[in-house]
Amino acid sequence: MPIPSFRQRRRIAIGLTLSALVVMFGIVWIQTVRLADVAVLTGGTLLCCVLLLALFGMRRRIPILPLGNVSTWTQVHIYMGFFTAGVYWMHVPNLIGNGIFECTLSIIFLLVTGSGFYGLYASRALPKRLTAVEGQHRFERLDWHRGQIADHARNLLEELSVHIGIPVLGSFYKEHLNPFFNSRPSLTYVLVPNDGRRRKLLSELKDLERYLENEGRRTADKFAALVRRRDDLDYQFALQLRLRLWVTFHSILTFALVTGGLVHSLLIFDFLR
Amino acid sequence: MEAEEAIAVRRPTRWNEPMDASMDDAEVLWLRSREPFASLEAKSFPSSIPLEGILRNDCRIKRCEPGEIIAREGDYGHSAFLVLAGSTKVIVESLAPKQLGRSSSEKLSWFQAARQYLNHSGVREARSPKEVTTTTGSQSSRGSIRQIDDRPAIFLQDFNVVLKNQASVELGPGELFGEVAAMYRSPRTATVIAVTEATLLEIRWQGLRILRRDKRFATSLDEHYRTHWLNIHLREVPLLRYLPEASLQRVAEATQMRSFGRLEWNADYKRTRKLPIAEQIESEPIVCEAGRVPTELVLIRSGFGRLTQPHGAEHRTTAYLGKGHIFGLEELSYNSVRPANTPLLTLQNTLRAVGFLDTLFIPAETFADEILPHVRRTELPKNAASLLLQSTEERAGNEANQRQLARQPGVAASDNHEIDSETGTAFQQTGLLEFIVQNRLNNGRQAMVIDLHRCTRCNDCVKACSDAHDGNSRFARQGLSHGRLQVVEACMHCSDPVCMIGCPTGSILRDKESGVVEIHEPICVGCGTCATACPYENIRMTEVFDRQGRPYRDVATGLPIVKATKCDMCSKLPSGPACTTACPHDAIARIDLTNSKPLQEWFDLRS
Repeated sequence: MPIPSFRQRRRIAIGLTLSALVVMFGIVWIQTVRLADVAVLTGGTLLCCVLLLALFGMRRRIPILPLGNVSTWTQVHIYMGFFTAGVYWMHVPNLIGNGIFECTLSIIFLLVTGSGFYGLYASRALPKRLTAVEGQHRFERLDWHRGQIADHARNLLEELSVHIGIPVLGSFYKEHLNPFFNSRPSLTYVLVPNDGRRRKLLSELKDLERYLENEGRRTADKFAALVRRRDDLDYQFALQLRLRLWVTFHSILTFALVTGGLVHSLLIFDFLR
Repeated sequence: MEAEEAIAVRRPTRWNEPMDASMDDAEVLWLRSREPFASLEAKSFPSSIPLEGILRNDCRIKRCEPGEIIAREGDYGHSAFLVLAGSTKVIVESLAPKQLGRSSSEKLSWFQAARQYLNHSGVREARSPKEVTTTTGSQSSRGSIRQIDDRPAIFLQDFNVVLKNQASVELGPGELFGEVAAMYRSPRTATVIAVTEATLLEIRWQGLRILRRDKRFATSLDEHYRTHWLNIHLREVPLLRYLPEASLQRVAEATQMRSFGRLEWNADYKRTRKLPIAEQIESEPIVCEAGRVPTELVLIRSGFGRLTQPHGAEHRTTAYLGKGHIFGLEELSYNSVRPANTPLLTLQNTLRAVGFLDTLFIPAETFADEILPHVRRTELPKNAASLLLQSTEERAGNEANQRQLARQPGVAASDNHEIDSETGTAFQQTGLLEFIVQNRLNNGRQAMVIDLHRCTRCNDCVKACSDAHDGNSRFARQGLSHGRLQVVEACMHCSDPVCMIGCPTGSILRDKESGVVEIHEPICVGCGTCATACPYENIRMTEVFDRQGRPYRDVATGLPIVKATKCDMCSKLPSGPACTTACPHDAIARIDLTNSKPLQEWFDLRS
């Protein structure tokens, strides 16, 4: 049997998810017409779905057992996530619950769902942006690469032998390049990486050219190349950090959701008894 | 934890563990009195590796019962066998896997895998004394190398009946077999069984390689190949599968064996891969040049070839060839069937040896007379096939009838399939093709590739590898990349595993079932030959510790014990390679790059 392409797989999965939602909606509608308490049905389904979704995190941590590829689990996780969001919509009377506990639980659910949707987007869009940048750097080695660039820049200035260029490039290095090379990117840059810093530094370096001899200009070009490399590195840092933080955020909230969901179920069962 | 306290063990050395500890002087002398060893010149061998030393340490005498399988088709052999007494037979046709007693390699159970996962030592590169050496302080040498090379003897059931029904070639005293698989690091091409009680001398390839230093021995090996194996190898070429025996014999007689480049190609690789592509192409030995009239059909026996075409001022790569591929078929078949008044078709591509290329040359006349009449038209290149069709138009009706007959159930059903193109593999993207050939990645049978457009850089693959190996990852997520494709620096379990060249103890070897290149650490002397030989730098030498963090040290020199480590494809885990299992985004795969099809299919899935 031929393996379906990713596109075909997506179509099949969307079809199955929509079918499951339609079936679920049909059951809920029939039960509502019969004046049955659908909240138990939808709530039970929701709890089961959340627990199954949370199992994915456990599967990721046990890669050595033959429980199916984690990528298959991811696909199930994604589409079950969509299904769960649909069931949530059938379960709650309002988007946000009324009581303090229910309200908190609703907010946590919405945050988990929202972060899940964002994760789906980020895991598809950010890798392409990372690949487009030159050099495939490992996150844990980024600090080392930063240090290398800073050392290289310092050496460039020390190697400069032209007397005229030293004060011009030296002061520019001291005021602009040294802080840039020797500090981590700002929080603003990490949140919204952009090429503003890069363009500013490169244009200022360009402006210096008229004060420089040939050798000084060559050094300025090398500084410009280092600025580009460092900016690419920071870009990689910002995107890779975002991907990592998202997973952490989603996992912690999932844990809170599972705990809250179980407590909520126990309270409901106690109430029904 | 007493991390400073060292454990005294004896560092293994070459021939410390002979292939057979029971080989004695009398047996060595007896072997020296027999051919081919009697005529070998002792001065052909270096003083550090004398002929007697090879016979004593790299050989063993093996007695086989009638019906015992000595060499199985498909196995990766490390030894050649010399028949000393009795009779053996080579079975030409393939036998069913069950007949050959094939079984999957032993894997850990779920419970064992879970226990291993939960029982991490927490120490970097922790080993038990048994995993470090075969000669611990309290143990004496027991010739444990047999535990690696030996397997339970497998017998062919009803071998008399099998031999009666199958074509076979008899090998008697003085005959050598298995040397091609042993020397070229390729799977065995035929099954050999003992017909009577037989005594054989098994020579491991480390010894065989040294024996080839004697010119007469090397020549006799080549002659032996021509006499006994060439016909079998030619028969295995799909294009020649319908040749009558007489034609095949004439083809074999006319065939020339030619090698290009160095067998130890990895020695030059590190230098040449850094050259610009144009310079690298120029540096590769030319086998056949584009624009010339083809005079031979070239069959690739082992190694790699690159096809190039002139493009502007330079050549560009159009395809790469590997074992079993054919070069010159299109041109030769066209020239053989073309009308008399049309010009000859010249070679459209230049064939170059990438590192090492071992070929069989079949002259054009032999091809036209003996091969072409027996090749199915559908398997011929389009231009030659259409010419043949034009010339036999009037017979088209009859042939259509025959084809209809052939399509009927039960009529030649097994012969009705068409073979895949064997004339090379080409990608749409020349850049990707050149990237693969330039970096010799087409050697990889299990190359770890990452789709950078899907990889979120989460490192789950590395963590999984680490979990599967007691906290020691066998790769880092880095490597050469081209566009969205990254080839990670992890063992590729190459089709030509050059790391196996020169291992003095044979600790690095291919698994006979899976083809995975494995390191058997207890006999690894830590010399680093494999790590140096691996052109892709995918083998690392690491110091080893016990589970308390104490380093192992050699009792004689006090130096740390070092072992070669690399990816083992998690061959014992029930889940298979942990890296691919653990990837949440379908970004990572182990792909056979010796053929373009798997990579193309992988790309197609995600396009």
